[in-house]
Amino acid sequence: MNNSAKFRFPEVVKTPSRFRNPIGKYRLHRTEACETCGKCVDLCKYGVHVIRRGRVYIENSYLCVGPDCPSPCYEVCPVGALSCGKNPVFDQLGDFRWTPDLLVSTWRMAETGSVPLAGLEYKRGSSGGGFDKLRIVMKSGQTGQADIPDQDIDVSLQLNRRDDHGHRIKIHVPFYGGGMSYGSVSINTILSRIKAAKALGTFCCTGEGGYPDELKPYDDHVITQVATGLFGVREETIKRVKIVEFKYAQGAKPGLGGHLLGDKVTPGVARMRGAVVGHPLFSPFPFHSVYSVEDHKKHVDWIKAINPQALVSVKVSTPTDVDMVAVGSYYAGAHIIHLDGSYGGTGAAPEIAKKNIAMPIEYAVPKVHRFLTAEGVRDKVTVIAGGGVRTPHDVAKIIALGADGVCTGTADLVALECIRCHNCESGRGCARGIATTDPELMELMQHEWGTRRLVNMFLAWKKELVRILKRLGMTSIRELVGREDCLVHLDYMK
Amino acid sequence: MIMSEHQNISNIITSRKSLVKDLPQRSCFETVAEGGCGVTGFACSIPVRGKHIFEPSRQMHNRGNGRGGGIAAMGFDHRMLGVSEDILENGYILQIALLEDGVLDELERLFIEPFFNVDFSEALPHVDDYRDIRGLDVRPPDVWRFFVRVKPDVLKAFVDSNGLNGLRPRQAEDEFVFQNSFKINKMFYEAAGRQRAFVLSHGRNFFILKIVGYAEQVVQYYKLDDFKAHIWIAHQRYPTKGRVWHPAGAHPFVGLNEALVHNGDFANYHSVTEYLRQKNLYPQFLTDTEVSALLFDLYSRTYGYPLEYVIEALAPTMERDFNKLPAEKQKIYRAIQATHIHGSPDGPWFFIIARNNTENDRLELIGITDTAMLRPQVFALHDGQVQVGLVCSEKQAIDATLKSLSEEDPRVGTVADLYWNARGGSYTDGGAFVFGLEKNGGSLERRLTCADKFGSSVTVQEGQFPYLPGRVYYLMEDESRERFDIARFFDLQRPDLLFTYLKDGIRLWDYADLMDCLKEIRGWALKADAHFDVALDALTLLLDRRYPTYDKKRRSVLQMIAQTIETILRGLPSLMTQNEKGAYRKIDWETREFFRGPVHNEKVLIIDGSLFPPEGDHCDSRLMAEAYLRGWRRFIVFGLKGQRFHGCGFGPDCGGVRIDIYGSSGDYLASGIDGMTVYVHGNAQDQLGQIMKSGKLIIYGDVGQTFMYGAKGGEVYVMGNAAGRPLINAVGSPRVIINGTCLDYLAESFMAGDPLNGGGFVILNGVEFDNEGTVHPLDTPYPGANLFSLASGGAIYVRDPYNLIDDQQLNGGEIAPLDQRDWELILPMLEENQRLFGISIENDLLMVNAVKKNPLDVYRKVRPQQKDDIAKDGLEEWED
Repeated sequence: MNNSAKFRFPEVVKTPSRFRNPIGKYRLHRTEACETCGKCVDLCKYGVHVIRRGRVYIENSYLCVGPDCPSPCYEVCPVGALSCGKNPVFDQLGDFRWTPDLLVSTWRMAETGSVPLAGLEYKRGSSGGGFDKLRIVMKSGQTGQADIPDQDIDVSLQLNRRDDHGHRIKIHVPFYGGGMSYGSVSINTILSRIKAAKALGTFCCTGEGGYPDELKPYDDHVITQVATGLFGVREETIKRVKIVEFKYAQGAKPGLGGHLLGDKVTPGVARMRGAVVGHPLFSPFPFHSVYSVEDHKKHVDWIKAINPQALVSVKVSTPTDVDMVAVGSYYAGAHIIHLDGSYGGTGAAPEIAKKNIAMPIEYAVPKVHRFLTAEGVRDKVTVIAGGGVRTPHDVAKIIALGADGVCTGTADLVALECIRCHNCESGRGCARGIATTDPELMELMQHEWGTRRLVNMFLAWKKELVRILKRLGMTSIRELVGREDCLVHLDYMK
Repeated sequence: MIMSEHQNISNIITSRKSLVKDLPQRSCFETVAEGGCGVTGFACSIPVRGKHIFEPSRQMHNRGNGRGGGIAAMGFDHRMLGVSEDILENGYILQIALLEDGVLDELERLFIEPFFNVDFSEALPHVDDYRDIRGLDVRPPDVWRFFVRVKPDVLKAFVDSNGLNGLRPRQAEDEFVFQNSFKINKMFYEAAGRQRAFVLSHGRNFFILKIVGYAEQVVQYYKLDDFKAHIWIAHQRYPTKGRVWHPAGAHPFVGLNEALVHNGDFANYHSVTEYLRQKNLYPQFLTDTEVSALLFDLYSRTYGYPLEYVIEALAPTMERDFNKLPAEKQKIYRAIQATHIHGSPDGPWFFIIARNNTENDRLELIGITDTAMLRPQVFALHDGQVQVGLVCSEKQAIDATLKSLSEEDPRVGTVADLYWNARGGSYTDGGAFVFGLEKNGGSLERRLTCADKFGSSVTVQEGQFPYLPGRVYYLMEDESRERFDIARFFDLQRPDLLFTYLKDGIRLWDYADLMDCLKEIRGWALKADAHFDVALDALTLLLDRRYPTYDKKRRSVLQMIAQTIETILRGLPSLMTQNEKGAYRKIDWETREFFRGPVHNEKVLIIDGSLFPPEGDHCDSRLMAEAYLRGWRRFIVFGLKGQRFHGCGFGPDCGGVRIDIYGSSGDYLASGIDGMTVYVHGNAQDQLGQIMKSGKLIIYGDVGQTFMYGAKGGEVYVMGNAAGRPLINAVGSPRVIINGTCLDYLAESFMAGDPLNGGGFVILNGVEFDNEGTVHPLDTPYPGANLFSLASGGAIYVRDPYNLIDDQQLNGGEIAPLDQRDWELILPMLEENQRLFGISIENDLLMVNAVKKNPLDVYRKVRPQQKDDIAKDGLEEWED
């Protein structure tokens, strides 16, 4: 992992949906009038039509880009057998933050390893706030570093910037997977994420539900979480990893601890956490042993006593005094400050908490960045921001605001074909077999498939980030850190 | 009368209006820095030197970060200050920190000369160059000290213009001094702007000093090593913000006659500030501690509340504790709460206050904990010719203070008579204790008393005498050197018999005999390993167990034994030497370089922890983990001063490892252990046994906050009490006996399965030892209002023959009678408990009022509410 010379990014392996009819934005219809002239097959560059045994089929309706198509088949069809309309399912998907466009384009990235060619708004949602109000400023006429080959653009990130003897860890993409616990998601989901992290030379966090033995082969790519419930945290799990994350709060629900409803506490989960089957599991909202910064330092010292080389990440939400929290964490010995904003959260976080507590991440990150800079310690600590990062453009924006890297969450699940139905917490029944511990539903997804999907999505992210950097005239993602001048906020444009 | 008092109060408050009316109205009050801290304080019946606050402060380094330290000293010998006794007693010590050159003249001209008669003034001596003090980066302020009284005509004008005629002259003078200092600060100090000077303190017979640095550097810089005072408090600050922070932001803060230090922070700083503003009080230094001092002063001086009511206003009595109060108190407390709840600090806090109670001519050291008990706190009382009352955030600071005191004055022992925790906002002790120093005739020596919030005093057993090394103990002429018949115990390898012999000896002998005998044992111990084992085992029993000490003070006996054990351990061969025979090897800070694995028949690694740092790469617990990897399996650690993390970092499956801990053990001990056995010989501190997976932990004393948080398993025996929040979020199969009780929140969110099928449980015996070493039940086995809240698994077995635990204490739990299977489950634990601590099942636990009872009638089981009760089948719409 430290041997970057040997590291190669994996290749994209096309990985289509695991369901029979993938959802697309448009739907093509072919009438009986079709004469099988094959014109549409030749014309369509998205591979919507196929010809088989003398008949033409619309095999991949979901790939159709609708009116964005430069040469629409339905206009060209000599007999007018083709018609195109919006897929009625499409508008039922998602919400303002995760628009149907974003969901479908993420699925597309997970399938193909590239951003969608046309027809989908893949850069932002339409929440009317947050990243959706920010734009990256691309000056017209600016060609940037167009002539530099993609592989020479550096998007890697050094995680240990303290001068101590902790592991020297470089991740090859500026993001890693945020915590999702065993119990809240299935083991296949966890394995997919971790195997993808390994392939991409980065990390993935276990969440607070323990450290299943299945993950042992990937120890070097695991961040284990020490959260307020201390579920599944044992000395050996801390010793096993290179990064330990303290979860003080979650951006989606600051002031509330983790919560696993009784129905999700299956025998497997109960065994992992040592709890009682069928009883809901609450994590307390604070660490009962940490009520102030000197307690926090003691807490960090403790982890270092168990695993002296481990990097310590401190995950906090974004209260108004987040800057002081960050600097306090740094002085207590943290290597990584992980700011968790409020746009994230799956269905398990209460709506009222998701929408009303904590400072928006786009305010918190610059605040922390400036404060740490003024304190003279900005280059000694890695700032990771997370919570509602959906697209490579979100990544670029948050880094330009002052983070070093990004932590992903919901986007991973979307790559695994989450449809954002917001029923993660209800019983065992994730309709897509992602956030479930039900043995039958879990089988809806295999981790080999999941791994490829995630690798594809993140490769697409990386490719897009490189494109953005080149356009901005930068050769390294580190140049982008804190470059607020590269951004514009639609409400405050001059 | 009542009306006029009310009028007085309101006049005082009105008189302050002119001070604050031109200050900016802010919509939101925020502290400019946050952070936690370490606090320590002690009161002594004789004035003692400032150097004794040095060591406890130094040991709390890891609770501060060197960006704010301060001390307060109270109760002086007038000769040390160069004034007459009358001036010291009656004058105000106005102490001003000067941050700019030349500011003094202006300040004197504007605020001192016109108003005060200055009896004496001087610049405080200090070290010439602050850089001579290691680690001190910011030059401390120059401090000027004035002994002042308000000029009579000025005071009269003040009284007349503000309608304060109803006040006693002294009250008016107090108020004048208070307001004048406010004006000084207002003019010369802007928290966020130019800072030229500020008032450190302005009360009688005490002063405050604070710097940007560590508290003990105050002592060094202002040369207080030899300066004597009755009460010392110190504060290490850990602000998170700012490379350079100003000394005025450091603690202690002053009201008028009280200095307050604080550990924790408030969640409602804004609302407390708003509340104070209604009383025309306005914080000037933007920290929550300052508002605490203002609150305290408001209640005690302006409103004239007795201390009990001040404490109630700060830490209200809630819930079940409130219901347990007598009706009369409930009425008053309700009124206090209704009036002052908006000013009640919310959030984790613990105050230590040094107060000159001038009305009653008493000096006081007060510790108050918040209702939720979120900060660690320990009180201790040392009685004897020199009495000391101590209150600290950690026990290690108490130990350090006593050690420091005893080195100078052997009348002070290294062990206190009593150690205890306060239960915040409770009906039992009110969460606060007051050490009072009463005048004792004309001499400097005062008499120390200790009482809780309600005034019930804390006393030690009478009729026992401490060991006084100054006294000469003669050997009788016919006594031979070998007068102790102990050889046989070593020959027979019977430490238990040696223990009994010594126990009897304590009754028959005087201190000199005991000392001689211990000396002889020491001689034996160093002869051979087998003898060493016998000696150590017997002495450790003497240290751990409770037995009558007759005319001797237990603390003196313990001190001798602890010293003997230390001397024996120090005498063992060092790890440096290669050719020694025997299984024991010692390592200390100096010889740590020679660290190696065991060779030949070396078996036990003895670690002298005294000089190791408390945490970090070079701490002794890290060394132990390394030693484990190199093959050591048996450890004895001694000489500790709060070093942390012992037993951590060994990794999984450490069966066969045994650690014995002597001395002031530190936080996080045995956190995460898996399989090893740890003996703590004495009281333990906070956060023990967190996430512990398996193994055995035995504590011969009390244990601190959040004990076994998130534990997964293990077998644990606690001889005494646990402080707040033991076993929160514990899962799996932890099995714990607590022989005393807990402050509150025992086993919240306990999830440890079904105890009858391999799950976990807690046995709460609710007993204590008296001075004779016999076991007595406590008034109630569990005083807290929250027992087993929100638990979904496991059980608590409470020894509660009188059914004192009631439903009010449960939230999601239910009380069930014990059945035979439960008894069979807990019996083996109780047997081991009997073996370890001498708490007999037959004679102590099952004995109720001298009658032996059936266990099923003595113990009760608290278990999670059975699901069937809550979840009906959904059909019933109406029940009758």
